[in-house]
Amino acid sequence: MSMIRSDSEALIKKTMARFVDEEVIPKAREIDESGEFPYDLFKKLADMGVLGLRYPKSVGGSGGDTVLYCVAMQELARGLMSLAATTAMQCLMATNGLYLYGTKAMHEEYLYPALKGEKIGAFQLTEPEAGSDLGNVRTSARKTADGYVINGMKTWSTNGPKGDFHTVLCQTNPDKGLKGLMFFFIPTDTPGFSHSKKFDCLGTRSSTLSEIYFNDCHIPKEYCLGEEGRGLDVLLTILAEIRIMTAALAIGLHRAAMDDSIKYCKERVQFGKPIGKNQLIQAKIANMAVNLEAGQLMVDKVTRLVRDKKSCLNEASMAKYFTVESACSASDEAMRIHGAYGYSMEYSVQRYYRDNRFLLYGGGTHEVLQTTIARQYLK
Amino acid sequence: MKIVVLIKQVPDTTEVKLDKKTGNLIREGVDSIVNPDDRQALELALQLKDDCQAMVTAVSMGPPQAVDVLSEALGMGCDAAVLLTDRAFAGADTWATSTTLGKAIEKIGDFDLILCGYQAIDGDTAQTGPQIAEYLGLPQACYVDNIENVEAGKITVTRRNDEGYERLSLTLPALLTVSKITVAPRYPMMGNLIDAGCEDAAIQIWNAVDIGALNSELGMEGSLTQVVKTFSPKTKRAGELLEGDVPEMVSELLGKVRQAHLI
Ligand SMILES: Cc1cc2nc3c(=O)[nH]c(=O)nc-3n(C[C@H](O)[C@H](O)[C@H](O)COP(=O)(O)OP(=O)(O)OC[C@H]3O[C@@H](n4cnc5c(N)ncnc54)[C@H](O)[C@@H]3O)c2cc1C
Ligand SMILES: Cc1cc2nc3c(=O)[nH]c(=O)nc-3n(C[C@H](O)[C@H](O)[C@H](O)COP(=O)(O)OP(=O)(O)OC[C@H]3O[C@@H](n4cnc5c(N)ncnc54)[C@H](O)[C@@H]3O)c2cc1C
Repeated sequence: MSMIRSDSEALIKKTMARFVDEEVIPKAREIDESGEFPYDLFKKLADMGVLGLRYPKSVGGSGGDTVLYCVAMQELARGLMSLAATTAMQCLMATNGLYLYGTKAMHEEYLYPALKGEKIGAFQLTEPEAGSDLGNVRTSARKTADGYVINGMKTWSTNGPKGDFHTVLCQTNPDKGLKGLMFFFIPTDTPGFSHSKKFDCLGTRSSTLSEIYFNDCHIPKEYCLGEEGRGLDVLLTILAEIRIMTAALAIGLHRAAMDDSIKYCKERVQFGKPIGKNQLIQAKIANMAVNLEAGQLMVDKVTRLVRDKKSCLNEASMAKYFTVESACSASDEAMRIHGAYGYSMEYSVQRYYRDNRFLLYGGGTHEVLQTTIARQYLK
Repeated sequence: MKIVVLIKQVPDTTEVKLDKKTGNLIREGVDSIVNPDDRQALELALQLKDDCQAMVTAVSMGPPQAVDVLSEALGMGCDAAVLLTDRAFAGADTWATSTTLGKAIEKIGDFDLILCGYQAIDGDTAQTGPQIAEYLGLPQACYVDNIENVEAGKITVTRRNDEGYERLSLTLPALLTVSKITVAPRYPMMGNLIDAGCEDAAIQIWNAVDIGALNSELGMEGSLTQVVKTFSPKTKRAGELLEGDVPEMVSELLGKVRQAHLI
């Protein structure tokens, strides 16, 4: 008979949605308040093959692509941003250099275990003097006879203190500025590696962030991820994907804020009618819905462009900028719709409001993104 | 060991809405899911696969979109799936459904164990499993919540009843209907879900001819019962259970009776 098959994207979305409803949402508040990263849930995601969604089966992945990865991250962010952010990082930034440039032995030792959730990776660009301005990265990589010596520090490192290995942007030649940048692979057990205590942050409170220090860390030459001096190109190969993944996280959080708001609009009665009967409240819901729909279309478009290896950095920047701003507005409006109860830790909307702020910075601040978007049109 | 698991696609709601005119389920706008008991049957089958390398085949009868429950079954780790879909199957009552599924199982052949859910959350009859066992002439146990062991052509299972547990031993091949197992069924694996959507997925599509069935045995024609009318029962007022020690409960009760102006 004719071919009857399921749409895998829809099935993955549905499976992730069920996982989030059953396993994540019921525990989200407790996890957020504990400040502890939920390794049990992370391991469950690994067992389901979520961490390997972007990678081929030949390296222990699930054989999917960016579209499926972002569909899964959207759902996860609907449940708990800390979990989604760390998972998203493990799937992409923390492992992509290792996947592309690591040796077979490095794959055996780090990539397979990472996709099984047994080892955790981190990705380090930011330094105290190098936030948006990555040309100012000062962590140095000095060539030796058989490898490199790394010295310097990184900050705002997600998974920094808990990571087993790190993909670190270093300067190989300060005279060359951006052209001297290069990524290096540094296992945590490298002598000379240390970290600060965990940062105390407004949102994504169960993510683990810290400063990281490299003090004469000797690494073999295979740990140089790519051709020397091409660090920026390595970053550019995944920059669109990082931005669209960030947009996907924003979509998930936006949906959560909207779902909770709709529920509350129907439940809460004032002046003898549900608050959702008021036009000003309806306007908030309408704006949330329109922005969500528009953002979803952007994400669906750009994830496909990334999957098909089409250049789309500008579209990805626009999507990141639009969806994160929309999610900020949606979580703000959700707080207002919930009145005083939105201000209480009992309701999740305060968490959305806090957690979403994190998306403003990673993947490019919105001031920088607006500048680069405008540049496309004013050149 | 060869296991067949029967799974049904059902609407994701316990509040099934009915079309007032036709009496049929309104499926539009309602998500479809694997019937919850069937997910448990799949889990028990896959545990046997983990323990003794069983080969697990999931079977579903339904419209083409029921392929989704089979893809999920493959996602969970089943080895193969069969979708029974044909206009001739439409309008089947439980008798015709059991005949159709029974014939498909005969075609699969060479099976040791058939697992069904105890009950579908939409049709709710709990008849399909037992009827298939009768059709195939197999021993059956219903409401099974655990498989204790499989050895020397026998399977030992437990099921809960009002008094406690019953432990039953059945000669294989046998049919079990499953409910309320103690572990949460596993989630599908992403890689398997991706494979399930591919052309070369291990899903076979069978129609009436494929299972060698006559139209008179199938669908509306093969049904012994006809639904005359379907309606939602009127919900009675919900009861309320008071908790606390006796004086507390008495004063709360008095308060409620007064509030309702009954005294
Ligand atoms: C929760 C969290 C997790 C993070 N995890 C990681 C991680 O794992 N790895 C990592 O490397 N980094 C991480 N970061 C850091 C993040 O990538 C940086 O915050 C980001 O790159 C911006 O750098 P900055 O914070 O130093 O801001 P700055 O660059 O100092 O910017 C400060 C302000 O100035 C504006 N600005 C700067 N330059 C310009 C310009 N040219 N034009 C207009 N305005 C400008 C910015 O938009 C911003 O408003 C994380 C941050 C957070 C909050
Ligand atoms: C295309 C189609 C059209 C239908 N039209 C009508 C109709 O017009 N009138 C009417 O009265 N009913 C109709 N039905 C419903 C049908 O009679 C019942 O759904 C079916 O007999 C099963 O009964 P139940 O839902 O009570 O399941 P139960 O007997 O409660 O289910 C017990 C177990 O049997 C197995 N099982 C049940 N159904 C299936 C299946 N389809 N595939 C695989 N395993 C299964 C599952 O393991 C399930 O957990 C139709 C069903 C289908 C698929």
